[in-house]
Amino acid sequence: MLLFIPTLIGLTVIVFTLLHIGGTTKLLAMYLSPRLTGAARAHVIAELDAKFHLNQPVYVQYFYWLIQILEGNWGITNTPLYSGPVTQAIEIFFPNTLILTIFAAIIIWLVSIPLGVHTAVNRDKPSDNTIRVASLTFYAMPWYLIGVVLIIIFAVYFRVLPIAGTVNPSLVSGLPWYHNGISYPTHILLIDALLHGDFGVAWNAFLHLIMPSVTLSLGVMAALIRLMRGTMLETMDQDFVNFARAKGVPEKVVINLHAKNNALLPVVTNFGYLVAGLLGGVVVIEDVFSYPGIGMWLTSAMLNNDMGGIMGGTLLFGLILVTTSLFLDILYAKIDPRIRY
Amino acid sequence: MMENRKHDSSPIVKIENLHLHYYTRRGVYKALNGVNLEIRRGEVLGVAGESGCGKSTLGRAIMGIIPRNAAIVEGKIIVDGVDYLKPLREYFKRAKKFKPTKNQDLLKKVNEEMSKVRGQKISMVFQEPMTTLNPLLTVGYQISEALFYHNPGLLASRRLARARATKEDTKNIVKILKEEGEGERFRQYLKNRNIMGLEDQIISIWRRRELHDLKKEQMILDLCCEPISSMARGYLEQIEKTNLLPKFSKLPIVGRIVKREILKEAYKKSAEFLGLLGIPDPDKVVYMYPHELSGGQRQRIVITTAMINNPNLVILDEPTSALDVTIQAQILELVKELKEKINSTYMFISHDLSVLSEVSDRIAIMYAGQIVEIGPRSAIFNSPKHPYTQMLMEAIPTIEAHELKAIKGEVPDMRNPPKGCMFYPRCPYAMPICKEKRPQLFKVGEDHYVACYLYGGEKK
Repeated sequence: MLLFIPTLIGLTVIVFTLLHIGGTTKLLAMYLSPRLTGAARAHVIAELDAKFHLNQPVYVQYFYWLIQILEGNWGITNTPLYSGPVTQAIEIFFPNTLILTIFAAIIIWLVSIPLGVHTAVNRDKPSDNTIRVASLTFYAMPWYLIGVVLIIIFAVYFRVLPIAGTVNPSLVSGLPWYHNGISYPTHILLIDALLHGDFGVAWNAFLHLIMPSVTLSLGVMAALIRLMRGTMLETMDQDFVNFARAKGVPEKVVINLHAKNNALLPVVTNFGYLVAGLLGGVVVIEDVFSYPGIGMWLTSAMLNNDMGGIMGGTLLFGLILVTTSLFLDILYAKIDPRIRY
Repeated sequence: MMENRKHDSSPIVKIENLHLHYYTRRGVYKALNGVNLEIRRGEVLGVAGESGCGKSTLGRAIMGIIPRNAAIVEGKIIVDGVDYLKPLREYFKRAKKFKPTKNQDLLKKVNEEMSKVRGQKISMVFQEPMTTLNPLLTVGYQISEALFYHNPGLLASRRLARARATKEDTKNIVKILKEEGEGERFRQYLKNRNIMGLEDQIISIWRRRELHDLKKEQMILDLCCEPISSMARGYLEQIEKTNLLPKFSKLPIVGRIVKREILKEAYKKSAEFLGLLGIPDPDKVVYMYPHELSGGQRQRIVITTAMINNPNLVILDEPTSALDVTIQAQILELVKELKEKINSTYMFISHDLSVLSEVSDRIAIMYAGQIVEIGPRSAIFNSPKHPYTQMLMEAIPTIEAHELKAIKGEVPDMRNPPKGCMFYPRCPYAMPICKEKRPQLFKVGEDHYVACYLYGGEKK
């Protein structure tokens, strides 16, 4: 837990360094009118230097930058999707990504844990082999391919699920809590619709979430299934599992209480990092499904060489990973009585 | 019940010509090769042998806890008149090629069948106290499980008795105890008042030595008038009558209440039992996790769990081997004490003959998956007959100076054991016939049998 703060410092140092590799000219270019020349230009540059502390040593600049970050000034992004302060872009795009990730995480957990247990209990049987091969196939497929295949099957061929976006625009046009593709107050359309009691919109938003979240989960599920299978097999050989059997505890309880809970310990840790990693995966998925989340914004930031956006995104992902690990440590201590901080 | 056990002369477990082979990638390990053994009621049977001779496999086979690659090639284990491993044996006979997955399916069925016997009639203590307890569950829960699944009726009646008993009752009970002790009148009173569930609770308090009498009296007086919610009461009475757990999943809320009541009661009973075994602060210990206890304490917990349902047979698989010498002595003391307090049968597996000499009535010596000599303790120690046993005796270190002799040679490769006597390659008295034919057990004395051609059969 004490590693939390050094990790944060390391993260910010890296982001700051990356920012500086881009050079100060990039920054100046954003504020400097190309039409200025001569003395006026030099004057403005000097002014900007002073304003952004560019004439100070780099390590001093780092602290100025850090203070800015803490004050909530994360710079400016300028992409076709959105231009304005980075914090505001995050506020708009991040909730969409968050709900997508949460959905995917729920699917992953609900599917891979039981499947992992099942494959371990029925080791080497046909069902075990089928599940392992299928999940590995999805694991080997790139995300965008799974996404496109799902779109072709469910949206084009069967026409049961919508292709792209977060909602059918005709349903939300004119609603008082929806402007310019942003819903209020939480910016998560599904939750906002439920808050305002508009179940039709909520259902539609839910349908739009299914395919991206399923795609996201299919791609990584294999890792968790395999891990669960491995740890489960390991625990099922443990003495305490045999001892539970020797006590005459029913086999179902032996597996679900004694073996599974112990096998879950390493899986929980990995699950946390997997979910945090999913946030990186959304960059691809959101592009495939034109889902207006942080991934889509970051893609356009990269394509447009938008330093503010890229750095804001890097810092955000870093922060998420660090908080996840902190959260996991706390969770781990909760479920394992041997660990007490 | 206990008196009946003594007079019943039929063996608790009868093993007939048991062959158990492990199928692994590196070949078939023939772990047990024709074991014949009877465990008689009320005895302590010691099983000794080198590591890898199959003594643990034998113990586990009796419990039915064998891995999926273990094939029952031949032979029976009859526990309480039932041949539990029959499906496995029949599968092996039927199958052209042994498949662990198929074996596993049958093993699952065996597990289900045996779960009624395990923990209730036979139970087992494993070697490693550090790994035998589930690290995520409290010690109390792990002891309670054995009670919860086998004896819910007892728990329900204990709980109900505390609800039924009135202040008047407990006062009368204290009076009776003071006048006559825990005799017939005490039992009669409980029976008349329909509060038999209080019996062991009161006795466990009354017998405690470290408490002052006044404190004990107060504790007994406190055993009354503990109300139960009326919803749960009906179910508890049903459990008391049938000794069966209701399907909790079908009773969403009441089920939880009933389950919690029974588990709480199981914790109480566990704490009482731990107190009987002389573990300090049992009420606190039941809420601890295994990692908070020392190795010796954990082994005590494991033994408690195995003993809590008064099983007919307890298999102790090297219970002292992983502990240091002082703790080892304490655990042996505990086993001896239990032997006196609870009338049951013990199978004590150990590689340490000096440990066996302390506790056992009969000793069986195993070598390479066979029993080579079995007899009363005195006979085994005073006049060992089998060359292997004789050599083992010479290898025991003693306080008096004597030359320790190691047994020459090595344990045979169990993938490809000798055709005749297993000990033949290492035996100084080997004869031609030893190479050809495996010897049967020959009688050499009162209840003393040896598998060696020196003592019977055709001598050539």
